[in-house]
Amino acid sequence: MSGGYRQQPGGPGQTTRKDGKRVAGKQAFPPPGSGGSKPNMATRDLDFIPESVGGKESQPAGSHIHDRVRTGTSVGKETPLVDSNAKVTGQAWYGDDVRLPNEIIGKILRSPHHYARIKSIDTTRVEALPGVLAVATGADAPQRFGVLPVTKDEHAMAVDKVRHVGDLVACVAAIDEATALEALNLFDVEWEVLEPVFDPKKGLEDADEPIHWRGKYHLAKTNVQKRVFQEFGDRSLVENPHAESHGKWKMAGVHHGFTEPHAVVAHWDPNGRLQLYTPQQVPHYTHRALSTVLDIPMHQINVIRTFVGGGFGGKSDPFPHEMCAAILARKSGRPVRITFDREEVYWINRGRHPSHIEVKMTADEDARISGFDIDALIDGGGFASFGHVTSYYNGVLATAPYELGSFHYTGARVWTNKPASGAMRGHGAVNTRCAVEVGLDEMAETMQVDPIDLRLANLLPPHSRTISGFRITSNGMREALEKVRKGSNWDEKFRKMPLGKGIGIGCGFFISGSGLPIHWDPNRFPHATVHMQVDMDGGVTVHTGAADIGQGSTTAIAQVVSEVLALPLEMIHVRSHESDTSPVDLGSYSSRVTFMNANAAIRAALEIREQLLNAAWEILGYHPNNLIMNDRRIYYKHDPAIGVSYLKALHKAQEDKGALIASGAYRSPPMGGVHKGAAAGLAPAYSFSAYVAEVDVDVETGMIQCTKVWAAHDCGKALNPLAVKGQIIGSCHMGLGQVLSEKMVYGRTGHLQNANLLDYKIPSVHEMPHVEPIIVESCDPEGPFGAKEAGEGPLLPILPAVVNAVYDAIGIRLRTLPLTPDVVFKGIEKTLKASEFDDPTDLPSPTLEFSSMQPKLVARAQEHRIRDKARQRTEDTSPYVNGVLFGFDPTLPLEDQVEGWRTATEPDPEQLAELGLAGRAWLKKEQREMEGEN
Amino acid sequence: MRGSPPRLWRLSMVGSEHIKMIPTPVKNIWSAEVNGTPVEVLVPSNAVLLDVLRDKVGTLGVKRGCDLGTCGCCTVMVDGTPRLSCLCLAGQVEGTAITTVEGLADGAHLAPIQTCFAEYGGSQCGFCTPGFLISAQALLNENDTPTDKEIACAIDGNLCRCTGYQQIIESIQGAAAIHRGEVDAAAPASDAHPDPHPDGPDEPKMPPGHAR
Repeated sequence: MSGGYRQQPGGPGQTTRKDGKRVAGKQAFPPPGSGGSKPNMATRDLDFIPESVGGKESQPAGSHIHDRVRTGTSVGKETPLVDSNAKVTGQAWYGDDVRLPNEIIGKILRSPHHYARIKSIDTTRVEALPGVLAVATGADAPQRFGVLPVTKDEHAMAVDKVRHVGDLVACVAAIDEATALEALNLFDVEWEVLEPVFDPKKGLEDADEPIHWRGKYHLAKTNVQKRVFQEFGDRSLVENPHAESHGKWKMAGVHHGFTEPHAVVAHWDPNGRLQLYTPQQVPHYTHRALSTVLDIPMHQINVIRTFVGGGFGGKSDPFPHEMCAAILARKSGRPVRITFDREEVYWINRGRHPSHIEVKMTADEDARISGFDIDALIDGGGFASFGHVTSYYNGVLATAPYELGSFHYTGARVWTNKPASGAMRGHGAVNTRCAVEVGLDEMAETMQVDPIDLRLANLLPPHSRTISGFRITSNGMREALEKVRKGSNWDEKFRKMPLGKGIGIGCGFFISGSGLPIHWDPNRFPHATVHMQVDMDGGVTVHTGAADIGQGSTTAIAQVVSEVLALPLEMIHVRSHESDTSPVDLGSYSSRVTFMNANAAIRAALEIREQLLNAAWEILGYHPNNLIMNDRRIYYKHDPAIGVSYLKALHKAQEDKGALIASGAYRSPPMGGVHKGAAAGLAPAYSFSAYVAEVDVDVETGMIQCTKVWAAHDCGKALNPLAVKGQIIGSCHMGLGQVLSEKMVYGRTGHLQNANLLDYKIPSVHEMPHVEPIIVESCDPEGPFGAKEAGEGPLLPILPAVVNAVYDAIGIRLRTLPLTPDVVFKGIEKTLKASEFDDPTDLPSPTLEFSSMQPKLVARAQEHRIRDKARQRTEDTSPYVNGVLFGFDPTLPLEDQVEGWRTATEPDPEQLAELGLAGRAWLKKEQREMEGEN
Repeated sequence: MRGSPPRLWRLSMVGSEHIKMIPTPVKNIWSAEVNGTPVEVLVPSNAVLLDVLRDKVGTLGVKRGCDLGTCGCCTVMVDGTPRLSCLCLAGQVEGTAITTVEGLADGAHLAPIQTCFAEYGGSQCGFCTPGFLISAQALLNENDTPTDKEIACAIDGNLCRCTGYQQIIESIQGAAAIHRGEVDAAAPASDAHPDPHPDGPDEPKMPPGHAR
């Protein structure tokens, strides 16, 4: 067993002393390790070990607390997804690929009416049909559920009322699909059709029969589900502005457009436990909802997450069809499979809210942003879903990355008789962000300054507090802006290109994990837990509930474990499909998985690492501080020849106790203010991004082609640059769809007219520009190895970048999304009518002549650049709160320094008259305050 | 009942007598060569190829995304030509040679296009991947020096919501290089790689002065 252990050292004479002993640290080649596919231990990859611990990986943003456990094994390396071989061989099992023996097929009877009361359902003819094995209606499951505990308003099937076309009425399971479809025709339902509401503006008014009834908390008799008012800062600053922008936006609803339709398989095993297979982003909430609806304890349910064929937020609610499958399986005693067709996918929806957004913003004579005034009326469709949160996000996620003098937000979400809107990639932040960024562009135009310099001179620094009390830690916004400016050759192109060619900028800001879990429990349950087990074979089994929906969370977790334990990726086995074996995890939403789960995984791995190092200490006699873990071997820091193999150390550590077991958990630190809604938008870290887009606009047809995108995203630290780039490019694709072609079209009669992928136009390969992904690493102090999110934030900037580029190309501000050719053409026609020209090709292309403000802005940006660098590297640890730019002292409460500084979550009576569209919801009183009035 | 409800095919037929909407079709033996293996299954005469492949033949790698020929997830190769199996009656392709994603690999040896999709990030959620692999393989069979434009034309019938296509094009270019013989194909992951040091290296040298 001795052959090959001690490899040839760096050369004779150099590493050996005259007395024959080795000179410490002189061995050029490390000795072989053991196990795995490579016979010899790999050399330490110094390129992937940070400078702070003696490696060569540069750390412009400073060192990180996890640096000491970096082994250079896999973090920062382009890593193919660990489950990709299953996917490329067709062996990945998605919802509809689960085929259990003896299965039967379930189908759902859907409402043909927008809004109707069910007077009766007669199922006798259905039950009489040969081949039908189970029938269920709303009466079988009267319990309500919903993803948010505060708004449980869904039933498995309609109880009393249907709320949109396609709402679930009843379901049936039969021996095959043809019989089940046949059975749907045999339900006899008696309806009382009610007056539907489609226009969200109408939803603000009192209705005869509101779509839901919230009892004493119901707002008069309106269809308002949630209203929000938030005001921070000194409103006197917005009087007499130097420059302002005012825009009214209309944004269409968009759908996630994942390629896998929903599917579910339910099976009650012989012991009476429910096994439910479903492609879910958030299996845990489904688990909870099933327990409520079926009235059985949670431990009698095993939720098995199949591979998920794209989620983007659209598979994160507990769904009624999941309940239906479970009910049918319970009744029939056989496994039931329900698969949606594409039309049903649009009926369950949960896509981005159709929105009416109004943004007013002002800047003072120093080009500081003195106020944002945002009003967002969002169309929630028939159910609440995540809407409570969306109502907040539409405002509060606009409070950064800029320093604001004041912030005013009114928002309302209304129920309408349409499929429910919900969470979609960039949840709630996307539409407002677009409106805000375009407003900044317009203000820059008025002040005759470069829009990038305007942004650079108004950024919040790292380690600061936003006006609404969010704690910003690492911040790579400035670097992102600088990189896209340079990469795109911005200064040569902006306002200098001919008519029809344009370039535009947009920025983004997004949460990296939501600070409050949706189901907050009194016992301070952690946000994420990871269990780890290492048995004598040396393989590491990691149990986590993190739902891999294609974003690569399984890979990220395997990577961090592999990094800490210095093991090849093939030795890490992540098990995340079953709720029986995985610890509770809140799921894949709010871009929380990498941040929270990887942090939990690191903690568990550190525990295993400690046990291994202690075992090696016992064998070698060197303290763990002097031991280095490298590829399947642990050795003395100053003499690599003195060491022990990973397996030996493991076996030593296992003496008397068997497999090593560890558990790691993550919970976010306490943060934020105390005002109502202060928790919305709180996150342990925030991501930043800046994109530049170039477009060609055909002025004669209104057709827009986006030709190139430079996309810089601050993800803290790219654990897997391949996946980060994939997320950036994929986000561009999805955002381009929303800004250029995607739209859920509701006709005059309120019908969804394009519930298929032909009329709902997702960009194909031909519409996709070349995207230059630029990764900015700001090294977040609390992120796993410095990482933050990269899944949702990268979507935000592409919309405003394109809209701003269209202005640069044709000089027309368009505020209706998507910018389909007819919208653009109408804009061009309108401009032509108001101008002296007849031919659109004669239109003037916008130009820019800098005002005297420009050099001042550049100077301020340069000053802030130095400030930010020091703060990012924590050389400067002085407190910084939003307002310092306006001359306030960050150490004193702002209320004490500024007369008129306020934090309000309800409007003053005198404000009521001047509130915007959504703000009108504040004119109504809650039922409990209206006693005797109605 | 007030107003007239929109006529959806799913609509319950209130008050009307039950009329069977789909007459029971005749069932016949359907035969074809799927992934090199002769297959004979009993299918209704109106069966769609996608249903036959998924439900009867068992090639679940063929994915159902839309049933309307809009997403390309169900693409299979029929006698070497990519075809949307959801728009194709089984009877139309009787007796042909059909290749699904399961048929791309040669035993444990993954096809170059498969390894490259993994390596270049061409597959994220993976649901559209089988369709892309078939479209790309059909292109590479004809042309191992495709331009990006030619690749775009070959995959324009396939929708991908995750990747934004860029890494898919890179994957196909990577596979083309292997087809041209410029780059070696990767060894199968299941190849034997015995552990050369099952117990680790022999007893490590103790540090000087350490008595044990």
